[in-house]
Amino acid sequence: MPRRRAFRFPRRSAAQVAADVEEELGFHLEMVAAELVDAGWPQEEARMEARRRFGDLEGTREYCCALDESKENQMKWMGRMEELGQDLRFAGRQLLKSPGFSLVAALTLALGIGATTAIFSVVYGAVLRPLPFQDPERLVMGGFVSDEGKVQKAFSAPNFLDWKAASHTLSGVTSIENGTLNLSGDGSEPERLQAAQVGADFFKVMGIQPLAGRTFAPGEDKAGASRVAVISEKLWRGRFGGDPGLIHRSILLNGEPYQVIGVLQKGVQLPSSADVWVPKVFSADEMQSRGGVFFAAIGRLAPGVTLEAARAEADVIGRRLSAQYPDANASYFKTMTVESLSDQILGDTRKPLLILLGAVGFVLLIACVNVANLLLVRAAVREGEIVIRAALGAGRGRIIRQLLTESLVLALAGGAAGVAIASWIVKGLIALGPQGIPRLDQAHVDGTALLFALGISLLTGILFGLAPALQTSRTDLSGVIREGTRGSKGRAGTRARGVLVVVETALAVILLAGAGLLIRSFSRLQDVSPGFEPEHAMTFKLQLPEKRYSTEEKLRGFTGALIERLERLPGVEAAGATFSGMPFGGNVDVLTFSVAGRPPAPVDKEEAIRIATATPGYFKALGLRVVRGRPFMPQDRAGAPQVVVINEAAVRKHFPGENPLGHRIELGWTVDGVHRGGEIVGVVADFKQDALENEIEPELFLPYDQAPQDALSVVLRTRSDSQGLVSAIQSQVRGLDPDLPVYGMQPVGELVATSTSQPRFYMLLLGGFAALALVLAAVGIYGVIAYAVRQRTQEIGIRMALGASRDRVMGMVVRQGLTLALLGAAAGLLGAFLATRGLRSLLYEVSASDPMTYVGVAAVLIAVAAVASYLPARRAARTEPQLALRGEV
Amino acid sequence: MPKTSLDLMQGTVAVLILKALSWGPMHGYDVSRSIRQRSEGELGLEDAALYQALHRLEKKGWIEAEWGLSENNRRAKFYRLTDDGREALQAELSTWKRYVDAVSKVLETA
Repeated sequence: MPRRRAFRFPRRSAAQVAADVEEELGFHLEMVAAELVDAGWPQEEARMEARRRFGDLEGTREYCCALDESKENQMKWMGRMEELGQDLRFAGRQLLKSPGFSLVAALTLALGIGATTAIFSVVYGAVLRPLPFQDPERLVMGGFVSDEGKVQKAFSAPNFLDWKAASHTLSGVTSIENGTLNLSGDGSEPERLQAAQVGADFFKVMGIQPLAGRTFAPGEDKAGASRVAVISEKLWRGRFGGDPGLIHRSILLNGEPYQVIGVLQKGVQLPSSADVWVPKVFSADEMQSRGGVFFAAIGRLAPGVTLEAARAEADVIGRRLSAQYPDANASYFKTMTVESLSDQILGDTRKPLLILLGAVGFVLLIACVNVANLLLVRAAVREGEIVIRAALGAGRGRIIRQLLTESLVLALAGGAAGVAIASWIVKGLIALGPQGIPRLDQAHVDGTALLFALGISLLTGILFGLAPALQTSRTDLSGVIREGTRGSKGRAGTRARGVLVVVETALAVILLAGAGLLIRSFSRLQDVSPGFEPEHAMTFKLQLPEKRYSTEEKLRGFTGALIERLERLPGVEAAGATFSGMPFGGNVDVLTFSVAGRPPAPVDKEEAIRIATATPGYFKALGLRVVRGRPFMPQDRAGAPQVVVINEAAVRKHFPGENPLGHRIELGWTVDGVHRGGEIVGVVADFKQDALENEIEPELFLPYDQAPQDALSVVLRTRSDSQGLVSAIQSQVRGLDPDLPVYGMQPVGELVATSTSQPRFYMLLLGGFAALALVLAAVGIYGVIAYAVRQRTQEIGIRMALGASRDRVMGMVVRQGLTLALLGAAAGLLGAFLATRGLRSLLYEVSASDPMTYVGVAAVLIAVAAVASYLPARRAARTEPQLALRGEV
Repeated sequence: MPKTSLDLMQGTVAVLILKALSWGPMHGYDVSRSIRQRSEGELGLEDAALYQALHRLEKKGWIEAEWGLSENNRRAKFYRLTDDGREALQAELSTWKRYVDAVSKVLETA
């Protein structure tokens, strides 16, 4: 493209084009007519003849106008592209000319955009991306609402079947029960699998298509149907090497042969993280027991039905079921409801993750403010250049466009680096990832995240570029010429920079306050005593298959022998086993009960209590004190008088001011017509059952031998480091049953740590963002003060020449920085007061407006601001008055 | 009229215009007059076709226009060959010569 194009006439409008064509053709016609007149034609006739000879005048006019207009458009676009090219080249040159500025700015943006993109990737991958089911928003989960409004999601078979039969708002209702199954018999080590027992229509209701093979057919969940299983892609690829011949082959699950009929692709393991699915066959007992609740129910809304309509119907059905079967139902629920399955799966995670996204957005904003600040400083430096461009005729719009191009180039460079940082952060987050954030492991910087990064890069480019561009372009020619090259808008620029620093300080304070609250909350949580001794203790789990351990006798035999063998291991001080009584174990069993000799409670006011079993050594192994009476003894065996031990919370709730020992408990669980339960012989110290932040609930223990179960958690108390025990434990178990997998083996301390991994995750992330924000804010304060000092060098020189001491000068400069910081802190604390209310649900025993945190945050910020202003202040104080006055500094 | 002969016509008009402008910048009326004179009246080029061709060539970038004053001091649009136009003229001329040669050979041997 020839250079001279840069200077061209303004482009013509459509009307101008038409006028030009008209004039051109008119000139031609006149010339022809004049020629004819010369040849002797009369004037009027010559004009007519000229038109006749021309041919299609109207058509030509239109044709030429159309052509010319399209040419004009073409030129306009070419001109624009050329200008953009010029701007880009120029922007590149400008940025390269000051590499220090460009590097700091691009790096700041890269951090902001990278962090934001990373968190977006996680938030999108985990909670925003639709669940991998067909129309996931139409899926609902059934729940029972108690008197107090508490919602429980566990169904019994009769209630489930009645609800399924009565519901018309749901096009399908299916069941899912999470559990575990032992996989063995294929030559490899026995393995414990997460399993789900589901209704035969489960995959149909969920809308899940298998990766290979088929899912369950109707009737495969009926008693007597042949045993079939669907497995996960992970299990298929991992244990079976992706063998396509696996389908139709049999595998042993809990010692029973199951035919594999299908493989499910990964990602659909929700709502449970199962590796194997088998049809749930309700046993005759389960069909009879309306009170025995153990599984969840999922339904799909029928076409056109709203969630509200389904809820209203559930309410009606629930009230009827509660009234119709008061014995089994009334104490459990008053009515029923349905909740969105997405909310159920993602609900708890959505809020904290969105808070993180908001927080990282603040970091990005602060990064923008910092870069805008840098640009403002640069604008002052570049004033001369802008003035020259304006003087040469560049319009204000043209100058703004040029400056914006520079910021966009900067933003895109930062964005590109940010994406690289983002994928690195995402990997770190997944590695750090706490349990219980669904689909976190699947998060990655995908196409959506890249689009997001591009979008926020452009947005930030405009955001941080626009204000400086507007300010810079408002250059007053005469002002600059009068004042020389330095600073016609020193004052306005300083004020703009001051406002930006106050804004970013305020944002940083909000983040600091949020992080401070989470840190305080987490440290409170860490201070909570679990009540047991997690150190020097080891735990693992066993699931005794029904087939080989079909009687209570066999269960007792195995467990007794195992504990005896474990106690004899060197380094083991105590060993015990429990069913449902393992803290942080995730199992909760609740039974209704009554105290013998007290008047029976009305059917819907029955008391319920958590229930667990324990072997004699269990309390000692877990480090629990027995505060009254005695622990279980070997003599509390089957056939001996039934005894129970309760915890302190149970004493407080059910025996306030009374000696509980000697009372008899009767549980709502009868075996051969006899109530389970027994005499209270001991009270065990309270311990946290599910999580450190939860209240301790009343709990009752039965001696394992008097109520043996097939699922065991075993705890060993060791003298020193327990790691060497792992293989010894495994060989002891194998010695008793070679097909029994040992799973969930870990130090008890790790179990406790895992339970706080989510709060730790959120605290670390928010803390990291706050630290980043603080650094950026400090850099911002430093930049503004340093620049102000440089601009005021002469003034400072005069002050010192007139006798101001160095301390005074330093005080003056630091005061300027602190004023900005104080304004920012005040605005930020106000903002924090409003914003941290959203954190309330994440806080443990810390108020969202905790004064300690607020004071601490303000103190940290002011200290940082003081340091950031001290450095330029020291330089100001070193000013040599003579040099400054002569303008040589 | 069959399309091929229309294309030939358009192409011919273009070559004639480019050739005329190769002697120097001129306005549409001059182009028309010079073609008429040099062909000694044999080629009567219709004005409508001439102006449509001029604007087409301008859009193509083979000629460019500038407003100026005619001999009788009237504002007129003067066309001038661009570098691209000059190249195009050379190419068209050689094509035209080959075409004429080929046609003549066929016609003369017959």
